[in-house]
Amino acid sequence: MRWLKSVSNRLRSLFRKSAVEQETVQELQFHLERQIATGIAAGLSPEEARRTGLLDFGGVEQFKEECREARGVNRIESLLADLRYGFRTLRKSPGFAIVSVLTLALGIGANSAIFSMVNALLLRPYNFRNLDSLIRVWEDRGIDEGYDARYIAPADAEDLHSTNGIFEGMTTYSFQSFGLGTEGDVQPILGCRVSANFFDVLAVSPAAGRLFTATEEQPGADQVAILSFGSWQRRFGDDPQVLGKTISLNGRVYTIVAIMPKDFDYPVPVELWVPLALTPAEKADRSQLSLNALARLKTGVSVSQARAELASFSHRLELEYPMTNAGRATTLLQLRKELYMFTLPLFLLLQAAAGFVLLLACANLANLVFARMIGRQREIALRAALGAGRGRLGQLFVSEALVYSTAAGVVAIATSFANVRALRTSIPVSWTKWVPGWDGIRVDGNVLVFTILATLGVGIFLGLVTILHTSRVEPNKTLKETGTGTVTPAKRRVRSALVVAQVMIALILLVCAGQTIQGLVRLASAYQGFETASVLRAEISLPQKIYSDNVKITNFYQQVLRGAASLPGVQHASLVTDPPASNVDNETTFFSIEGRPALKASEAPSADLQIASPDFFGTLKISSVGGRAFSDADSAGAARVAIISRGMAARFWPKDDALGRRIKLGAQDSSEPWLTIVGVVSDVRQNWWNPITRPVIYKPFAQSPQRSMTLLLRATSNPTSCASAVRDVVQQIDSGIALRGVNTLEEEVADSIAIVRIMGILMGIFGLLALALSSIGVYGVLSESVAQRTHEIGIRLALGANPRDLMSLILAQALKLTGIGLAIAVPCAIAISRAMASLIFGVVSLDFSILGGFTALLLFVALGAGYLPARRAIGVDPVVSLRYE
Amino acid sequence: MSKPTDLVQGTLDLLILKTIALESMHGWAIAQRIRQVSKDVLQVNQGALYPALHRLEQQGWIEAEWGESENNRRAKYYSLTKSGKKYLQSEQANWERLAAAIGLVLKTA
Repeated sequence: MRWLKSVSNRLRSLFRKSAVEQETVQELQFHLERQIATGIAAGLSPEEARRTGLLDFGGVEQFKEECREARGVNRIESLLADLRYGFRTLRKSPGFAIVSVLTLALGIGANSAIFSMVNALLLRPYNFRNLDSLIRVWEDRGIDEGYDARYIAPADAEDLHSTNGIFEGMTTYSFQSFGLGTEGDVQPILGCRVSANFFDVLAVSPAAGRLFTATEEQPGADQVAILSFGSWQRRFGDDPQVLGKTISLNGRVYTIVAIMPKDFDYPVPVELWVPLALTPAEKADRSQLSLNALARLKTGVSVSQARAELASFSHRLELEYPMTNAGRATTLLQLRKELYMFTLPLFLLLQAAAGFVLLLACANLANLVFARMIGRQREIALRAALGAGRGRLGQLFVSEALVYSTAAGVVAIATSFANVRALRTSIPVSWTKWVPGWDGIRVDGNVLVFTILATLGVGIFLGLVTILHTSRVEPNKTLKETGTGTVTPAKRRVRSALVVAQVMIALILLVCAGQTIQGLVRLASAYQGFETASVLRAEISLPQKIYSDNVKITNFYQQVLRGAASLPGVQHASLVTDPPASNVDNETTFFSIEGRPALKASEAPSADLQIASPDFFGTLKISSVGGRAFSDADSAGAARVAIISRGMAARFWPKDDALGRRIKLGAQDSSEPWLTIVGVVSDVRQNWWNPITRPVIYKPFAQSPQRSMTLLLRATSNPTSCASAVRDVVQQIDSGIALRGVNTLEEEVADSIAIVRIMGILMGIFGLLALALSSIGVYGVLSESVAQRTHEIGIRLALGANPRDLMSLILAQALKLTGIGLAIAVPCAIAISRAMASLIFGVVSLDFSILGGFTALLLFVALGAGYLPARRAIGVDPVVSLRYE
Repeated sequence: MSKPTDLVQGTLDLLILKTIALESMHGWAIAQRIRQVSKDVLQVNQGALYPALHRLEQQGWIEAEWGESENNRRAKYYSLTKSGKKYLQSEQANWERLAAAIGLVLKTA
């Protein structure tokens, strides 16, 4: 309570100043009167008593001042005065003010923009309760094929669920494409089959309706569905009576029991969730890794504890079921980490880069302030002469710097709303919908607090640097000097240190930016194995009612292919189930190899399945490695054939030729036909996040027709020009069929890597900013130091010095400072590059041409920064420069 | 006259707190009381007294109130706050410990 009184006293002294002053006067007056009265009582005359009393009392003003000091008013008042002074200097030199405020605002703004991304995407991508306790669990067979290929066998999942003591809950799910029956039509949609406790484990409840019950996990009782909010809006027009209505999925009737909240889109944005009803046989299966698993750790169970528990669990299973489980390791990863495995290091790198840009901005501003301080030396000396101590001067500088940084912070906050909105909307929604939390990028409390802290930090930092620069004011010397003042060696050292630091930061930042961008370019070309240029893509989906059998489907698509191929400007026309860069992974299938029964079911090989028309490989220019491509002869009635990827051939037929071998989708004894391998084509990386290219089996379209296909056209020129012609072709065959998702493949690829691309662009911007800021900084310091040597240069010239020697003298100084900076920065940059190489995608690597190039660039900048002012100084007539002061 | 620097740091504060511990007093009376009690040894100068009073008030050990003086004039009366009473006790104990220690050193050394 004491501090409360203290604060209220202080506030009263501050804001009711005249009343408090008045009281002090009255109090002292009262004391004086009593003293006089005592004198009179002692026998003095009133006049005598008054005189001795006043003499005794001493200086009233001095006491008043001391009382003010005691009340602690002075400190606050002087701070206010300093702040007012800061504002006045800001207004007095608007040019300096605008430059410095904008420089700082740029630095602060960059940081808060990046922080808003980090805040939304990393700190809380999902609004799940206690996100850190959610983990993904899967069985690793030694080949991790990426986060969308992490599965567990149903029986193993069941065992794990029932036996372990580390999970509060565990649930399984799997994706499924459904044909959603609408009036007279069937539309393909993406759904998710989930265990009944799926939503309980995630701790989410529906916006309306009820969750699945355990009985609905039984086959036959599972015809209930939960809609996603988006699906409810799009397909049911926000119908409030939708609960209890029925829909048709794959020809079965499902009852809608709930709608999920708007922001719920786990695991990915799907249209609906249905119960995962496995038959007893499916449940008992240990051979096929077919389910995704998600678990919530019990409170108090650490990730490493859980990892150890899972290791012993898989060991038990290995012993118990060696046929199926040998070589499988049950693995886990925190959900948060799995989501941001690729982007987390990039985000941190971006935040660090933004921090460096802010540092450079601060260094530049410090330079500007120093230059002004030299002009203010006499003012400061005068203040010191009038009794301002170092603390008092420090307070002055910090308050001035705070005024600038606060102005910059205000600008940064004011513009941050628009900046962050631009950042959020700069990436096409088609891609960002896969990034949980992207819509949450906005300026919220965290971002504001971050910005304010950054602003205060910058102000205090700048003020302290200024104190460092003006330490040891010697009023006696300074006030006696004439002219613009001098720069002591100590001050020159501070400024030289700034140049060194700036060059250092700039090189590190440029190398990081260069390598990140190089890495992203490599990422863009990660879609190896095909050519994106001049390819148009369009999705076609045939209604089940009209196209009820394979003959009708095949006929339709053959007409489309014929019509499209005969269009002017079209070289190739083909169909495929999953075009590259779709951001959806291909359907994975298990297969068996003839004459080579799998020793263990867990070794059943799997591959991506693609169905393609004959000209597919020509359209995407996927080169042939051996054998032949599909032809029209591979018709429905002909011998069943398949083409496989090079990687698949190398993995499963490492020693002998794959051509002519026969494979079968599914198990050896399944009713699927044997497929003869007739060709091997080069590997295609389907989506950029796949760490490795996966084995692919291509089947000819005519032998397994599908209703939903993607049409691919390779044009001789701009592929968008033939879009309308293709539309006409399709319309002529069946006017009821519309093309969807018409786009060039190049744009699809660009969209799919948009999130990493924008990071590359941001890194590039930071790199350029770093270059610009450090160039300005180095130029500023060097030109300033040359200007101060104008007098000396004049003397040297007058004494007959060679201008070329003088020039090299000045350039040597510039190179010395830059050289020191670079010498420190190069090993740092190498170390950081090494660290980055292991962090980001594995595509960033230490590149000496980048390092060498930027080092040379900075040296060049330093030479220019030294050359321009030096030429000016040397060009001046000695007569003029000798008078220069 | 004794300037505050002549006294051990904080001694004047202690004297003031002790003096107004029993009843609230105005500045003049505090100076007189200290003088009388110390048999004219300690004469508190107003230049030290009033800043000290204001500082103690600011620190929350004492509080001030305007009242009528014995000769019907308005005067500022100071009294101890609750925390001021505790502070006085601990400071007094400290002082006694210190004085005893110094006494010991002076006698034996």
